[in-house]
Amino acid sequence: MRRLSRRAAAATAVLITSALSLTGCGAPGEAGGSDSASGKVEGQVTFQTWNLKTHFKKYFDGVIADFEKKYPDAQVKWVDQPAEGYPEKLSADAAGGTLPDVVNVSPDLAYPLAKAGLALNLEKAAGKYRGEYLEAAWQSHGMPGLQGVYAFPWYLNTGPMFYNKDLFRKAGLDPDKPPTTYDQLFRDAVAMAQKSGRKIAMLASTPSIEDFGRYGVRLMNAQGTAFTFNEPRGVDLLQHYKELYAAGALDSQALTAQAESAGRKFEQQSVAMNPGSALDLGNFKKDAPSLYKNIGITDAVNNTGKANMYVQGLMVNAQSKVKPAAVTFAHFVTDRQNQMAFAKQVTIFPSTKGSLDDPYFTEEDGTDATRVRVASAKSLKTAVNYTPVLLSDQMKTVLRNAVAKAVQGKQSPKAALDDAVAECTRLLKTG
Amino acid sequence: MARQTALEGRRVTGPRGFPASRTARPFRGSRGIRRQLTVTPWLFLAPGLLIVGGFSLYPFLSTVAHSFTDARTLTAGRFVGGANYQELVHDALFWTGLRNSLLYVLGAVPLLVVLPLLLALLVQRQIPGIAFFRAAFYTPVVASVVVVGLVWVWLLDDRGLINALLEAVGFGRVGFLGDPWLLLLSAMAVTVWKGLGYYMIIYLAALADVPRELHEACAVDGAGPVRRFLTVTVPAVRSTMVLVAALSSVNAFKVFSEVYLMAGPTGGPGGEDTTLVMLVRQVGTGLSGRVGYASALSVVVFVLTLGLMLLVLRAQRREDG
Repeated sequence: MRRLSRRAAAATAVLITSALSLTGCGAPGEAGGSDSASGKVEGQVTFQTWNLKTHFKKYFDGVIADFEKKYPDAQVKWVDQPAEGYPEKLSADAAGGTLPDVVNVSPDLAYPLAKAGLALNLEKAAGKYRGEYLEAAWQSHGMPGLQGVYAFPWYLNTGPMFYNKDLFRKAGLDPDKPPTTYDQLFRDAVAMAQKSGRKIAMLASTPSIEDFGRYGVRLMNAQGTAFTFNEPRGVDLLQHYKELYAAGALDSQALTAQAESAGRKFEQQSVAMNPGSALDLGNFKKDAPSLYKNIGITDAVNNTGKANMYVQGLMVNAQSKVKPAAVTFAHFVTDRQNQMAFAKQVTIFPSTKGSLDDPYFTEEDGTDATRVRVASAKSLKTAVNYTPVLLSDQMKTVLRNAVAKAVQGKQSPKAALDDAVAECTRLLKTG
Repeated sequence: MARQTALEGRRVTGPRGFPASRTARPFRGSRGIRRQLTVTPWLFLAPGLLIVGGFSLYPFLSTVAHSFTDARTLTAGRFVGGANYQELVHDALFWTGLRNSLLYVLGAVPLLVVLPLLLALLVQRQIPGIAFFRAAFYTPVVASVVVVGLVWVWLLDDRGLINALLEAVGFGRVGFLGDPWLLLLSAMAVTVWKGLGYYMIIYLAALADVPRELHEACAVDGAGPVRRFLTVTVPAVRSTMVLVAALSSVNAFKVFSEVYLMAGPTGGPGGEDTTLVMLVRQVGTGLSGRVGYASALSVVVFVLTLGLMLLVLRAQRREDG
């Protein structure tokens, strides 16, 4: 009898535990938050950035000091997270209910947070500021299937392309005329591989979703309910990459390359072109001086005439206890004056109206850096964010695996992309 | 009744020194003392039980429960029955992961059972400078797996040291990190290299218990080193070999870090090197992570690992029988 009761107690414990888990007690999706942000600007605002403290501590300390001076009843606690594992950090904070009040996000990171009710709808809470920003930038944090906008647009970029002038010269290519379209890129890449005896590859990685976008491939249907990157242009792009791989114009480790390993190949000068950011220039100067002497900077290759726009935003936590202060601070950081000051620290572009017409972004001084800055600022006026916000990390992996299979010849480009589209659309529908 | 117990032989007193009874009886203790005897061990066990319950049992039960839901990282799930398990059967990456995890066991475990034993026999001898070699063999164990992984990535790179050496001696470059099979073999080699020292220490402890007389008797009978190894050493450390096989099987089946670092987060070209634990991470993390499906995968990994352990133990029992 006693043994039976012990068993019963154990079974009850298991059932209760399972039931608690199944009901998902305390899941963030259930928590609601008001969209109102009116009230006094007071209290401590936690502000989280994404890998910015190392290089820009002084700038942010200044912005925070200015804010606290303007709003004496508010204080800002700044935390910075490393680049690696940022989505995991956000998901842990969101699930644990410890999401900071103001969070640095990109649109694809903001989407699941907005869907779970954790991002404040700024169309309602801060709609009065809308006119201060470029319309495309403001809309970039609008989410398919959700009404509103879920982050203040912050800094923009087009992502420059670095190339090695010396390797271009040795391959008989004009170092002052890097490829600007995909057709030119494919032609130059094959020439580079042939001239170097397959020792120098033009590119270190396989095409990402942005490449498909820049190539002119339609990525999703108009309703945002299905992916469409298996259309003929997508298949054509993949076929070209397959040929590049076979010709040795794509690095042999391109199928598993990460940003870090691709950058290393470029620094080793075994790869002639690689995308990067303005911060990379400093690294080249320090780590690869011989490369730095021969560095060329150009825009990313493009068939559409519309550059890719990388957008960073500042999201306000819908469950924040200091919403008025959080909204005011997020707006303060992203206002024209502070964005302009940030743009002078590093090559980023403000998302505020009129900023790109500042002489800083329109006048060249004869150096490569200003030439690219002026060209990028000009292209940003018509740029689009090619990465669909609905494309999750798992879907990106699906696409990447499909590309690898096609490039290796294990599947035809058409079959690989058909499978990838079917799987991504299935994941989209089950999400 | 020739012998009396200690308690039966003396006068038993109750509380405050009053006789408990006039005739000596076996001591049963008061109700308070009995309760104390029942409760005290549990009090000692409580901290451990709380930790195991909170950090092992509850997460395990929670994982099992979640495996029957469509929970996501940021949204509570609905009960979906066995849908996740059905999906798993039709998921090509699951079968790739299972294949790779099993290959890892088949490739790495025999080496991890035999090579550390040979190393232990080498460093067991008391000769000058042997401490240096013991420390050298053990160093990879204490090195961070991330550091080890990155070092091997650099070594095996197309332009790394190993390819430079191969090129210098007339072989062409080998795409260790570009070919799915070579990548998996390279990751196995790193696992074996990193694990040698750990299992060597376990074998050293076991070898210390092997009686020297057995070796001497065998030698007198004319047995050479190989025969002595097979007839004396191996039988003497067989239970340790089973332990090493069990431990390394579980670790190999659950391999993550080495493959992740060398093949990248997508699991090699086209996901061909994905292991089961990598797949759990791939689908279950991030802001859109499919917690329900990842939980189902985790439960399957648990069941398979348990099965593997039972197989090893059963093989041991059969040997003993």
